[in-house]
Amino acid sequence: MAFAAAMVVLVPLLVMARTVWVEGSADLDDILTSPGLGTAVKNTFLLAVAVTVLAVPLGTLLALALRRPDLPGRAFWRVAILLPVLVPDFVLGYSWLRAYGRAGFTDDLLGVHWSGVQGPVGVTVVVVVNAVPLVYLITAVGLAARAEPAMERAARVSGAGALSVLRTITLPLLAPAMATAAVLVFVLTLGTFAIPQVMGSPAGFNTITTRIYSNLARSSDPLAFTEAVTLALLLVVIAVLVVAPADSLLGPRLRVTRAATTDPTSLAGNNKASGRWAATGIGCYSLLAVGLPLLALMATAVTQAVGLPPTPENWTIANFLSVINARNGEALSRSVLLAAIAASVLVLLGGLVAALERGRSGRSVATLVTLTLVLPGSTLALGMLIAYGHWLGGTLAIILLAYIAKLWAIAHRPISGALDRLPPDELHASRVSGASPFTAIRTVVLRPLAPALLAAWLVCFLTALHEVTMSSLLYGPGSETLAVVVLNSAELGQVGATSALAVLITVVLLVPALGFWSVIRRLNRIPVTSSPTPTAPELARVG
Amino acid sequence: MTLRRISAHLAALLPLALIAACGGAEDATESADPSSSSSTDISGTITLYTCVSDTTIQPVIEAFETANPDATVDLYRAPTADLNARVAGDVRSGGLQADVIWACDPLTMQDYADQDLVGGWTPETDIPSDVRTDDYVGVAVLYMVAVAAEGIAPPEAWSDLTDEEYADGVAVPDPGFAASALGALGYFAQDPDFGLEYYEALKDNGAVQVSAPDEVTNGVAEGIYKAGITNANSAYAAQSSGAPIEIVWPEPGAIAIYGPAALATEAAEPDTAKAFLSYITSEAGQTVIAEAGSYPTLEGVTGPTIPQDAPIVYPDWAALADQKDDLLADYQQIFGA
Repeated sequence: MAFAAAMVVLVPLLVMARTVWVEGSADLDDILTSPGLGTAVKNTFLLAVAVTVLAVPLGTLLALALRRPDLPGRAFWRVAILLPVLVPDFVLGYSWLRAYGRAGFTDDLLGVHWSGVQGPVGVTVVVVVNAVPLVYLITAVGLAARAEPAMERAARVSGAGALSVLRTITLPLLAPAMATAAVLVFVLTLGTFAIPQVMGSPAGFNTITTRIYSNLARSSDPLAFTEAVTLALLLVVIAVLVVAPADSLLGPRLRVTRAATTDPTSLAGNNKASGRWAATGIGCYSLLAVGLPLLALMATAVTQAVGLPPTPENWTIANFLSVINARNGEALSRSVLLAAIAASVLVLLGGLVAALERGRSGRSVATLVTLTLVLPGSTLALGMLIAYGHWLGGTLAIILLAYIAKLWAIAHRPISGALDRLPPDELHASRVSGASPFTAIRTVVLRPLAPALLAAWLVCFLTALHEVTMSSLLYGPGSETLAVVVLNSAELGQVGATSALAVLITVVLLVPALGFWSVIRRLNRIPVTSSPTPTAPELARVG
Repeated sequence: MTLRRISAHLAALLPLALIAACGGAEDATESADPSSSSSTDISGTITLYTCVSDTTIQPVIEAFETANPDATVDLYRAPTADLNARVAGDVRSGGLQADVIWACDPLTMQDYADQDLVGGWTPETDIPSDVRTDDYVGVAVLYMVAVAAEGIAPPEAWSDLTDEEYADGVAVPDPGFAASALGALGYFAQDPDFGLEYYEALKDNGAVQVSAPDEVTNGVAEGIYKAGITNANSAYAAQSSGAPIEIVWPEPGAIAIYGPAALATEAAEPDTAKAFLSYITSEAGQTVIAEAGSYPTLEGVTGPTIPQDAPIVYPDWAALADQKDDLLADYQQIFGA
């Protein structure tokens, strides 16, 4: 495990550090004191803090609200909230501009537009919307794994108000999941590039990542190249400074080993009116944050030229036809395969690190695999290329390695957050009682962890499927991913075709995504053995 | 049971993938018929790194492979930033993998030539000397032109964009992001009639910086901006699909940025690479490039739209190579936050 982490995470970081050391140590002073860098660092940090502070409560709130079985339209809202995961982030940014910007959807219909959408506030809001599904998934899984409805009911019966139950019972139990989400969102936001680039540029809003890209654009000049790599490492340093203390301080404190006593019946809302309010709130959020922008995207996809009103006489399916061709089809199937392999390997690796983390030595591995999450895709891919390009250049293998490095933490942390549902005694007990290792793992380990494993798989799969920056730098003949064809059309400025592709991906993915969601739901309902240590006959029967 | 259900859903993904793959895989380009013998020794596989658009490069490769049935071109195409990062990564992991690089601006290529990654040979061609050096030859040109939204009077000169008429409505592409925008910055900075003061005046007039020329085109077409600086290919492509924009080649001229091609010094298949370079600089190759929608560099080959008597100006690339870092820093002082 440590070896895999070293190969995938440490080696690319070290070759990048070595590059800076060998080629740029003389220029380091100039790079770190260059004008505007201070502002970019400040913007990056503030953006990450703001997005974390906004997205974590919002995602948690949604998870809590959607936990109520009596919530009107619950299944529908669950899917609606997850939709942003299906759309590449640059497309999400563009769709917000089309929805709320000048000459956008609301401007055409109501004559109002939001000028702040192009600027720091717009960037923050869209990065939040992009991060909410991840927070929601992690906290929903946390709720599935840790909720204590019996305790909550007992408190209510004893006269505690809904808020005080939330404060004293539900939220403390959710704390590890929220901490997990906060770390991931913070680190992801530090490294986010496409949304600040698409939406922040007109307001002169620079982040470390936009500076990195600008340097890469001129990186035929060795100095600009060194600067790009140095700034990427600066991001890693910032991530270390925040994540390492958080991991070592929060980790052990939030981790409690509990018996698997979860009573899976959800806490029934006893107040119809509050359910309606919750549904209204979720409805408004879904409509404004996801619905309208995606509708604007759809409108662009069916309109024959940019700038024409999306009225029926300008409708065309040409954009869809231009997207449906042999090359894109091949690339899509290749990406689906690659994403499925990446997600499966990632869940395995994430689970292993989570298991390792229970020992002291494993904790540093857990922090370590978070470091490549902060790297913008282009620089991580660059590190991979320098480290392994000689042997693997242009192959799907090097793209797979990059995906693993980028997403390892995203797979690992949700699993880790749910792992305390699994007291080690149970595994021992099942083995002592005669279950084979396979049976023991399948029945004792996998079953309570299934929601977390599935959520991790799903996020990794979807993210890898529309990943843009890494594969565009690493692909070779025969390993063009979907991202490469997306970029080919995006760069030509064919907004319609890019939108059509994004809509098609969404539709193609929605089908399996809905399937998965029903699986997760069913898993949540499966009664987990209610006694702290399952009896041997029970285990034997399952085996 | 649950696991089985999970795998059932996994399996459900596969047909989707297959359906997607069957969109017409049979028309994948069949290369080289091995039985047909060629009189030349142009054979083997070369690797081409480029940033020119997919619509241009695919027909060019196809035509070259048809003319040289024993040769194959492996393509890596990406935007300039990715292309540069790929080259930088290659160089640091065992050497440049490309036999030929076809860049989108001379500054990038000059950097490669300075590092001895490319150059030392150029093909025999009539392409004019102002778009070539001893190390590389211009094979296509981008023209930076002005676009105006529907109902807005198009600017007649670049200087018009600083007028009251275009207040709070001009979009300029980011020279830190797009090499063509850097070329425009270079031209304006070098022309004593403009200088960096031109950008200051644009900024004072409420001009807005966006990332790429395409975003300028789209933003103007959508009516977000009144006018903007973009490249002619992007503007004409949008206009021909029906986008409501006007395109002008303003005085003193549209700014020409040539995209040069060069032989890699460590090319694995130098003969085939040279043949490819000779082809794309020949009349036949230039015609394919022109028909694919790019502006050719060879005189006499008719390319996409250039209005009659349209004025064209050229930045001093050699001078710009030394100035660009300072220029960009100064520009960012103006258009930064």
